[in-house]
Amino acid sequence: MSLSLKLTALSSLLNVLKTNVSNRTLTMSSALMDKKVSRGEDRKQMLASMPAKDEGTLGERTTLIDSLISAKQSIFPDGTTNTSAFNGQIFNDIPIIHVRVSKNNTIVCFTDAQGVPKIIRSCGIEGFKNTRKGTNIAAQATASTLSAKVVERGVKNVRITVRGLGPGRMSALKGIQMSGLNVVSVTDTTPVSWNPPRPRKARRL
Amino acid sequence: MKHVKFLSRTVLVQNNNVEEACRVLNRILGKEEIFDQYRRTRYYEKPFLVRRRINFEKCKAIYNEDMNRKIQMVLRKNRLDPFPGCH
Repeated sequence: MSLSLKLTALSSLLNVLKTNVSNRTLTMSSALMDKKVSRGEDRKQMLASMPAKDEGTLGERTTLIDSLISAKQSIFPDGTTNTSAFNGQIFNDIPIIHVRVSKNNTIVCFTDAQGVPKIIRSCGIEGFKNTRKGTNIAAQATASTLSAKVVERGVKNVRITVRGLGPGRMSALKGIQMSGLNVVSVTDTTPVSWNPPRPRKARRL
Repeated sequence: MKHVKFLSRTVLVQNNNVEEACRVLNRILGKEEIFDQYRRTRYYEKPFLVRRRINFEKCKAIYNEDMNRKIQMVLRKNRLDPFPGCH
């Protein structure tokens, strides 16, 4: 009896030792891992805590489309819109303001109804240089100076097309509206393809 | 995406409320993942990243479907056992 008891005691002691050893090794290895990983983790955490970059696409993340569509059917054009009058002017004859937005610049171009360019203005021309070009303030200033010139020409109604995503997307429209032009419609002409030619190689951050 | 200009992806402005019109437009384009596709195609997406993304989207869709079903089940009002799983 005593012998067997002793044996069990010994084995249990051995077990404890084993677990201790294994525990120690485990902790060691985990500490090492931490050191290796920590850089990447820190960066990830930092990026996660940063606020989402403003691309000027207000309303993109909100939902409730269906109720809105059923409520206001008239906000979308149909086959008769082209020939119907808006403020005494046929839709097809209303001049167009093209807004081209990118990450670093906003270019606003006024054309007649056929698309022949008349005035062009960009944040760079406006006097904003380098990184300041790619801000919403620059876009708004650019749009408002261009639309002031448009108003001088005696234009009252305009259609707007917006191309691309960037900080100037909403603020350019705001600038156009603030100058007193009557905006009839807003169109998105962002070129989107599901089988595009191979784009440039990915940025390495 | 070749469509008639000023008919597709167009919103008519009501009561000179440009911001609201733009918000509607952005909302629809965001919901239909047109902006996502635009952002994705600015830089080349390597095939292994495409696979990873597609697999992740699949898993997410399955999870969402099941979760929605569960929520609908719990929210259902007329049922024989009013408190299923609470005995």
